[in-house]
Amino acid sequence: MLEVIEAGLLSTVQAGSRREALAYGVPPGGACDGWSLALANALLGNAAQAPGVEMTLTGLTVRALADCWLALAGADMEPSIDGRQVPAGRPVRLAQGERLVCGAARPGSGIRSYLALPGGLDVPEVLGSPSTCLVGGFGGLDGRSLRAGDRLRPAAGGPSVIGRWEDARSDLGAPLRVVPGPHADELPGAFEALLAGDFVVSARGDRQAIRLEGGQLPAGSGTIVSQPMMWGAVQLPPDGRPIVLLADHQTVGGYPVPAVVISADLPRLGQLGPGDTLRFIPIGLAQARAELAAHRRALGRLPELVAVGA
Amino acid sequence: MIDGGQLTVRPFGEAALLVELGRHVDPALNARTVALMRVIAQARANGQADWLGAPVHAYASLLLPFDPRRVEARDVEEWLRARADHPAYPDLGSAAPLEIPVRYGGENGPDLEEVAGLTGLTPEEVVRLHGSVDYRVYMLGFAPGFAYLGELPEQLELPRRDTPRPRVPAGSVAIAVRQTAVYPLATPGGWHIIGRTDLSLWEPQREPPALIEPGWSVRFRAA
Repeated sequence: MLEVIEAGLLSTVQAGSRREALAYGVPPGGACDGWSLALANALLGNAAQAPGVEMTLTGLTVRALADCWLALAGADMEPSIDGRQVPAGRPVRLAQGERLVCGAARPGSGIRSYLALPGGLDVPEVLGSPSTCLVGGFGGLDGRSLRAGDRLRPAAGGPSVIGRWEDARSDLGAPLRVVPGPHADELPGAFEALLAGDFVVSARGDRQAIRLEGGQLPAGSGTIVSQPMMWGAVQLPPDGRPIVLLADHQTVGGYPVPAVVISADLPRLGQLGPGDTLRFIPIGLAQARAELAAHRRALGRLPELVAVGA
Repeated sequence: MIDGGQLTVRPFGEAALLVELGRHVDPALNARTVALMRVIAQARANGQADWLGAPVHAYASLLLPFDPRRVEARDVEEWLRARADHPAYPDLGSAAPLEIPVRYGGENGPDLEEVAGLTGLTPEEVVRLHGSVDYRVYMLGFAPGFAYLGELPEQLELPRRDTPRPRVPAGSVAIAVRQTAVYPLATPGGWHIIGRTDLSLWEPQREPPALIEPGWSVRFRAA
């Protein structure tokens, strides 16, 4: 079991999304970078979506109340144990009394890092998922972000696998692939303008959405009567500055959607932070489906890949 | 009947369809939307169409996620259009309205006086008008269990507050434009708060967690 000494900027328990509660106005939630959560889990032999801690921009400091295995993946927060650097891509054992310190995310490595414990964190499911719903104040650990003094209890006594993963992520800076959104036809030039320029992620971002600066899109007719929204939707408000929805987005919204980030690229979308530049490139629907299938196959193969590395 | 021919169906990403019945806040359109939602939910509950994800709806549109590894978008659309032509469920709005007791004004409704001032009414008239009609539950959104209720009597129509409050207490009864709502949780909010109810609109551990369902009819009464 771990005790939180410092909670970092925003650390929440996240697992899979809460898909069946969307109609109640509950955001999907779940890890913004589901790939990295799955990797951290695979290193310990956990289920891909087992609950872990999502850390944002700055990480946790935790102390082991008893010997405890853990694994990290995602943004490089230059973790150390009592001053010793923690090697990337393999589980580490924290002996009783030792401290794991995660610092600020190294620029270029993303902004979200995931901490997995054997068997996943021991938290209950609420409405079909253990993920924290911050707006609803439920799920995760008492429905809130972590704070000093919290205890993180693993669901299993030890890891079922000691995995190993060598590949550094090389695609973080690559353009996000988009398909035309449901309102693209009604927003002349908006999709094209989105593809034309570089955008910069604004400092005003959270788990709901990121706002983009540096480029302006022709805004067209303004707002529409609210419609259902999706993770990955690129919304176009009347000021012409696009908003890209993330895991905790509101389930309905009234800004038209000229483009949608493909599902396979949502994990990379979840690693964009303030000041990052980004570009979009178009992809066809059929190819987007093929990419999703490939992404899911890659997720499915993580357990065997980390085992081969061991 | 829901007329399947009047649906506009478009892809929303590679794994969902956006189905539009219209672009207006209209009770009849919403009744058809809610009915279609129920048809889909029933099919999923019966184990049919297990390639469909959980749908979400708004005033006059719904989002239908699907697993693109197992079904083509055009087959999903065909499946939906076939269901849309089936007899609709009865409009739930015709059932007896759910009554919401409200303590109006004072610390419970800090904007009541201002609303009265802006609309040229007395606070008593605002309360009377707010409780004078049955409201339709159009949809849940914004936050868990937040129900959009309409239509507010025309005399009470006001734009949202210029500056949203960072925190509106749970149970706050509020109005904006031609709608009213109860804040189920303490959240930021830009509507005018005229009262508060003790009814618990959202309990994640309850089944169902939301007290109010789309399609229902709701009435407010001074407690």
